[in-house]
Amino acid sequence: MSKKNENRAPKQSFAMINRNYWRMFFKVVRLSPTFAIGGFLVEGVLWGINRVVNMYFTLHLFNAIDEGKPLSELLRIILYVAIWQICFQLVDKIYFQIMRPILHYRLNYNIHKELFEKAKTLDISCYDDPEFYNDFVWSMEESSERAIRVIENINKMARAAVAFFAAIAALATADTDAVVIVVLCAMGVIGCVVNHVGNKVSYMARKERTPLYRKQSYINRAYHLPDYAKEIRLSRADELLVREADENNDELVRVGQKYGVKYFLLYGLFNNVLMEVASLGITFYMFICLLRGSIQLGTFAASVGIVWQVRHSISEFVERLAKFPEHSLFLEKYYGFLSYEPKVVSGEREVDSLRSLELKNVSFSYDFSSNPKYRWHKADHVVRTVEGGKDALTGVSLKIEKGEKIAIVGYNGAGKTTLIKLLMRLYDPTDGEVVYNGRPLPEYRLDEYRDKIGCVFQDFKLFDASIAENVMGGDYDAERDGERVKEALCAAGFSDKLATLSAGIDTHLGCEFSEGGINLSGGEGQKVAIARVFARPYELWIMDEPSSALDPVAEYELNQSILEHAKDKTVIFISHRLSTTRMADRIYMFDSGRLIEAGSHEELMQTDGKYAEMFRLQAEKYK
Amino acid sequence: MGKKEKKKKLPLGRTLSNNIFALRQVWEGSRSYFFMYYFVTVLNAPLNFLLTTYLVRAIVDSVSGTGWSTAEVFRYIFIVGGAAIVIWTLSNYYWNVPSVKANRQIQHRLKKKLYKKATEVELACYEDPSFYDKYVKAMDEVTSRVYDVMSTLDNLIWTLTSLSLNSLLLFTIDPLLIIFAILPLVMGFVRHWGQVIYHGWQMAGKPSDRKYNYVRRTFYLSDYAKEMRLGRFSEQQLSMLADVRNEKTKLCGKHGTKFALSSVLYEYGMQTVTVLGAMAYSLWRTLGEGQGSMTPGDCIVVLTSIGNVSYMLSRVVQNFAEFSEHSLYIENVRYFLDYQPTITEDESAPEASAGDVEIKNLHFKYNNAEKESLAGVNITVRKGEKIALVGRNGSGKTTLVKLLLRLYDPDEGEVLLDGKSAKEYRLSSWRGLFGCVFQDFKLFAMTVKDNVLLRREEQGDDERVDAALKASGAYEKVATLKNGVDSILTREFDDEGVNLSIGEQQKISLARVFAADAPFVVLDEPSSALDPIAEHKMFENMLKATEGKSVIFISHRLSSAVLADRVYMMEDGAVIEEGTHASLMEKGGKYAEMFRLQAENYKEGEKDE
Repeated sequence: MSKKNENRAPKQSFAMINRNYWRMFFKVVRLSPTFAIGGFLVEGVLWGINRVVNMYFTLHLFNAIDEGKPLSELLRIILYVAIWQICFQLVDKIYFQIMRPILHYRLNYNIHKELFEKAKTLDISCYDDPEFYNDFVWSMEESSERAIRVIENINKMARAAVAFFAAIAALATADTDAVVIVVLCAMGVIGCVVNHVGNKVSYMARKERTPLYRKQSYINRAYHLPDYAKEIRLSRADELLVREADENNDELVRVGQKYGVKYFLLYGLFNNVLMEVASLGITFYMFICLLRGSIQLGTFAASVGIVWQVRHSISEFVERLAKFPEHSLFLEKYYGFLSYEPKVVSGEREVDSLRSLELKNVSFSYDFSSNPKYRWHKADHVVRTVEGGKDALTGVSLKIEKGEKIAIVGYNGAGKTTLIKLLMRLYDPTDGEVVYNGRPLPEYRLDEYRDKIGCVFQDFKLFDASIAENVMGGDYDAERDGERVKEALCAAGFSDKLATLSAGIDTHLGCEFSEGGINLSGGEGQKVAIARVFARPYELWIMDEPSSALDPVAEYELNQSILEHAKDKTVIFISHRLSTTRMADRIYMFDSGRLIEAGSHEELMQTDGKYAEMFRLQAEKYK
Repeated sequence: MGKKEKKKKLPLGRTLSNNIFALRQVWEGSRSYFFMYYFVTVLNAPLNFLLTTYLVRAIVDSVSGTGWSTAEVFRYIFIVGGAAIVIWTLSNYYWNVPSVKANRQIQHRLKKKLYKKATEVELACYEDPSFYDKYVKAMDEVTSRVYDVMSTLDNLIWTLTSLSLNSLLLFTIDPLLIIFAILPLVMGFVRHWGQVIYHGWQMAGKPSDRKYNYVRRTFYLSDYAKEMRLGRFSEQQLSMLADVRNEKTKLCGKHGTKFALSSVLYEYGMQTVTVLGAMAYSLWRTLGEGQGSMTPGDCIVVLTSIGNVSYMLSRVVQNFAEFSEHSLYIENVRYFLDYQPTITEDESAPEASAGDVEIKNLHFKYNNAEKESLAGVNITVRKGEKIALVGRNGSGKTTLVKLLLRLYDPDEGEVLLDGKSAKEYRLSSWRGLFGCVFQDFKLFAMTVKDNVLLRREEQGDDERVDAALKASGAYEKVATLKNGVDSILTREFDDEGVNLSIGEQQKISLARVFAADAPFVVLDEPSSALDPIAEHKMFENMLKATEGKSVIFISHRLSSAVLADRVYMMEDGAVIEEGTHASLMEKGGKYAEMFRLQAENYKEGEKDE
């Protein structure tokens, strides 16, 4: 998924590319000066010098032979070079193979820490914006790798530049004439121009290819993910996939051939062939100079190596230059992410104990593009989400008093889950306000407020950690919390399973990186998630379909257990199964984002509205 | 997935045959591509030699008056240079334009081979982590590896050609120079030692890498987003990240130093001793005691080409190491392609058609499980019957269905159709008997129509799709979409794609059953994501649409079991009660107990605490 939206890349100006680049460079300098400066000195300067040394060495040696210098002097030159090589290799290897990996991990850690801290403050609505989310995932996956490549890129360009100019200087100080130097410089210029034009072509080609690659990787996935395996075996769906693959392949051929001609003219003729011809031309020209006696034999022999060196430097430089836009594109997203300002911000007020929680005429829409509160950093992004332009909630008012047991019911898509997200302040309402103890919710400290709420989500997640840590939410101390965790698990109906685990509550969940970890079934996992609510003294419990993965018996037991433990708590239930709602003090019935009925079970049955109809429909089948 | 990657060595013969296998893939995909690939190299390597080393020597000798005349040198440059320009241009043209199609053809052919195999292997393979691992790797890497083999061979050809030309030249100048070729060969072993160290380093870091990837995911996957904000997990995850850094740093100290030592030794051997040594030797031969045994021109040739020779020798060693590396990956591909599925399609076997199905004494255990998931199940489904399978989580209901569909074969017992074993029928026709909706159904990122039909479109399919959508209750929603049944589902790779809610997706998958018009319908909790009204409608429709067909359905909500002709209650992999709803209620067993538990809450008026 990481490179998915490369094709939507905005065109970047040169200045922008530059700015992004240097910003990253200085960031690395700040985070790890040893990494940045050490890298530049070794990878850039030292390597550049090494090439210079090798070049001057050949030139010097050949001319010395030509001039008939004594053997001892020639051997001395070789000795000096040997000493240089020994020192150079030693420094190079110590830096690259011992120091650099360590610095690498340190830098990696620092960069990720910053990203993670930022990710935590991100509004949950960001996850609903596919555009932003893609960028976010991309930043997370690639940031440290990119930071290192930016540095590397700059170093290698420096190295190539040093070698290039040294080669020119070497030839200039020798007895060659200006023609050779001019040709070499022209080669450098052509290399850069070809690269510049080539970048544009590549950009266009990539734009056309990316969706095709995306499709291809989707088809691959459909074949190798176990999720699709049953469908593919039981139907002829593979005919469809093969059809898609065939069509996709034809498209790829078409795009490839379309750009192939351009690539040939540009890189093939202009770059490869022209460079070869130029080098051959230089050899030829110098041969003529040699015949005319204007250069020494040594210079001629050495020049073959030097010309090769120049070409190598040009292609290295150009190759590195070509990476700029690609890196910058990433950096743009990376900075966009880091500079994102959360819309749900914490207030200053201390959170006192819950007395009442009220919604006043609350509306909410997931269509963030029309909602100025949720405009992202890039205004031109068009955001479309599942619900489209429709409001998920419209004009909802309700009040929850301390100790009440509330049930929220309604059909799929009625807005139930959205409502609880607003109650938890994962979003702020588009319109209207949420009021806590008589004051607007945004006035209160966010983390303190959230600490008062225990939730079980429909799509709960367990972490790859011990059962106890999963129940306590990370902050677990065996001595302090051990008993509490066991009680909570017992209350959630997990005790039977727990008894079969030899490591008890220290059993590791998930076996991704822990040997001996176990995988729980859906129902067992849900019980662990439910235990979270029992484990801490939360004041408000929110249960979003807590029993969806449980069978009827387990569901019944769970409901009993919740009733027992929730005596003095405020509880909000969401359920499809209306059987659960009977234990609620008040029931709120939602339909298409509106609150349509409210009252106790008896009251609502008497009203004989939608709730009564829905209840009867379900009850009917049990008669 | 506690996978331990041990780098095993393959025997030489296997390494060779794996690499040949890779080359054959290209050869069979496009012969012209294969031919051009190496033809160009075979021409280019000598040209390069002729235009650099050999030309310099010719010119130096010509100027010193010991070789060709000036005119001959000119002629040489024009002929060889001209030929080179033509070849360069043509090969650049080939690689940029005509090769594109051949290249895609090769890749596509290979992919399709794998796809085909992927549909043949049985489902159990997906549960075997080591097989699955190989499979995913094969899928991911196959094309790039095949090209890697091509390019390694190409490199080898290039290097060997240039090496022999250069060595020949050096040998004609002074046979004793051969000594300087021996050291680079010895250094190959030092290099190999370094690679072993490096590999060990990488392997030692693997657990930390996995941890690191996991931590990263918890921060960006939306699944975790709510928990990360509401609980205190984020601190724990950050401290794990710090652990990773420390573990990695420790490894650097341990392995990095050794690796650096091996690299330094290698460079000294290759550069300092060999190259500079050869230079000193040839200078001595030219100017020292053995004066005159080498001309200045020869000496310069030695000095320019000795570095190349030493580099090329190390490349050769490197190339062979690459071949054995590639072979390990190709091994995965071949393992996968050669895998013989146990559940196979036999085209000569008879076609299956609707009839009575009998499940007899079925036993089944999943690969890694300790306990049997099915321990002797007997069920009969007569033609046209509606059967409900009920039971608690993990009682084996879904497993039973998978065996019925021959996604797995039983360890013991059999499935019979009109008295004949399922295995005797042709596999595709057997599976074709069933229309299924699974709990964890999947929609494809294609049009609604494709998703309903799950095959290539034929004539008259439009009506069929419409009818199926109507029957499953998805028609209204689909009608509101801009492109109707041609709307593409999910935004996987189409920005115009439609994301449907879970309930709607389930209806689409249900429509598949109606469209397939199979004599058996299997529904594994088809209503779990539907709200009660939608569920009710769905069951009504289902009964209407499946008249005359056999239906097997699994549901948590026992209310639907009332509709069945017969109910089977399962527990711990065995059927514990069976009969009609009425007879089971009368019996007052587990089924009745479970039913009452659920019904209790719906009794109006008498609220019981």
